[in-house]
Amino acid sequence: MPAERIPPGSDAPAAAAARRIGVQIDGVTKRFGAFTALHEAWLKIEQGTFMTLLGPSGCGKTTLLNLLAGFLEADGGEIFVDGQLMTETPPYAREIGVVFQNYALFPHMNVARNVGYGLAARGVPKREIAQRVDEMLALVKLADFGHRKPKELSGGQQQRVALARALVIRPKLLLLDEPFSALDKNLRGSMQVEIKEIQRRLGVTTIFVTHDQSEALSMSDRIAVMSAGRIRQVGTPDEIYRRPTDRFVAAFVGDVNVLPARLERRQGDQASVLVGGVRAQVPAETIEGLAPGAAVDLFVRPDALAIGEAGGGVPGTIAAHVYQGSHVDMVVDCPAAAGGRLLVRVPGTEAPGLWPVGRVVGIGPTAGGVAFPPEAA
Amino acid sequence: MKTRPFLALFVSPAALAALALVAALAAILQFAFRAFVPGSMEPGGLTLANFAALLRPLYADVFLQTVAICLMTALATLIVAYPLAYAIVRSRSIALKSFLLITALTPMFLGEVVRTYSWIIVLGNSGFINSILLAIGVVNRPVQLMFTTFGVVVALVHVTLPVMVIMLAAALSHVDLDYEKAATSLGAGPVRAFLTVTLPLSMPGIVAGVTTAFAWTFSAFATPQMIGGGRVPMVSTLIYQLGFSSFNFPFAAALSVTGLALTVAVLALAKAALAPLERLGAH
Repeated sequence: MPAERIPPGSDAPAAAAARRIGVQIDGVTKRFGAFTALHEAWLKIEQGTFMTLLGPSGCGKTTLLNLLAGFLEADGGEIFVDGQLMTETPPYAREIGVVFQNYALFPHMNVARNVGYGLAARGVPKREIAQRVDEMLALVKLADFGHRKPKELSGGQQQRVALARALVIRPKLLLLDEPFSALDKNLRGSMQVEIKEIQRRLGVTTIFVTHDQSEALSMSDRIAVMSAGRIRQVGTPDEIYRRPTDRFVAAFVGDVNVLPARLERRQGDQASVLVGGVRAQVPAETIEGLAPGAAVDLFVRPDALAIGEAGGGVPGTIAAHVYQGSHVDMVVDCPAAAGGRLLVRVPGTEAPGLWPVGRVVGIGPTAGGVAFPPEAA
Repeated sequence: MKTRPFLALFVSPAALAALALVAALAAILQFAFRAFVPGSMEPGGLTLANFAALLRPLYADVFLQTVAICLMTALATLIVAYPLAYAIVRSRSIALKSFLLITALTPMFLGEVVRTYSWIIVLGNSGFINSILLAIGVVNRPVQLMFTTFGVVVALVHVTLPVMVIMLAAALSHVDLDYEKAATSLGAGPVRAFLTVTLPLSMPGIVAGVTTAFAWTFSAFATPQMIGGGRVPMVSTLIYQLGFSSFNFPFAAALSVTGLALTVAVLALAKAALAPLERLGAH
């Protein structure tokens, strides 16, 4: 592979130089027979970062996790952890902690032996094992649970044990494989906060795999959005949400409406588009090469749309109200929009009274969105 | 209202078969307590002489040797079957899986006599092993393999292998691969991960397989008869000799009853002794 190639999706060199690189993934490819699960992934992760691999099932995120852990061998490319080449290192010598989706706690060992397993494997003296296990169990708030068997614990407690077991070996990298999918919704929220807190306190570089975009947005320092074996975009949660560089990212992360629009003019790195006669500001970089007047698809979040009287904006008919407490989600039938529907998020609770179901209205953007060239038919 | 209208209908054939089995066992049991009348097929009066005769060193030795052969066979089968079962369960190649499964299970469809004949061809003085050893000059006269305990155990391992493989494969397929991955990621090499995680978690299959192999071997007849040729006496061959050469049915019946009781006792003992091991794998 050419050395001068600029890896898509990697950090700007200036930012990377500021802190040490914890994980570097250089053009890693993995094939299963004729199927390419991971296509030349490039990624740099600073030490101590909480990085999320986000994507739908089959996007290659779990494959990448398994390659990092050493459970799979790459067909091409290199992986570095703390500057050390990992590609040829067997999984047991990688010093990488893994929290599995089903936790994979050893059912025949009690909690203390589970947590101490990695230390025993390293030949750490018994007394030190006991001490470090106690410290770690205290950290995950399970100080008195050492003698219990995993099956005597709740789902959340099992997850803490799995986390303690992965962290006690002081790994260079912590891998979390969809760890919240087995927890009920209430527990999930508090475990997310807790894991994030422990991760920040220990400063361990962490890669978190999930298909849940709200989990990714709430927990991550940075997110790599993946689909079909490729990394589509890498950025902070806000960058991913506000400035997606890709149709897939725009549609996958958060709720989004797609409206047909026309490019009006371009000004520096900004451009303006017209949708139903209403102007909206968009970044210019995603519609490079298009001339004014060209058709574009405007991707706009539900909270960046407003409902007005018929005649302005894109015509639609109110189809349903969904009361959400702090805001109301208005579902609007709109033949022009992709999918024939729009979701408009209106703060407060007055909207249903103003715009009853069946009312013909006009919808227009209030804030910016992101525009992309129309999909090739 | 009857909740299970077909229960009586479906159970009756099984009940009849069970009744016949119980009757046969009862017949053997009463034969065991009857006196042997030489030259007559009819047993004499009630006696305990048959069981007293069992205590003679000649017969006690046969029992001990049978138990020893059963133990050796069960353990040797375990050692051969475990890697096979592991490969069948863990292999990612469907072709290799199928090949191993067919290789391991085919002997089951051949029948004990055919399988044992094949071992005569392999173990005989001019058989496969000895021809090779002679040809490459390792030995200058055939090594005695037929009519030895070693030969009998080898053939018996082949007989019990399919059942053991099935039981171990069933147990191993319940050991989630993630446990091994977790052990590995925590720094355990392949050997340590196997010994501390996979092996203890597959213990229920090992216990079931070993006890089944033991019971099967105890009742095996064709293999010790053909490979042992009378020089490796086991309880089953002894029963045959007494019953069908000497027509001493009462003594043969006493041997059968004692053999059955011994098997049950050994299995119960093994079960109790291995219970803590089995609990290791309890999920």
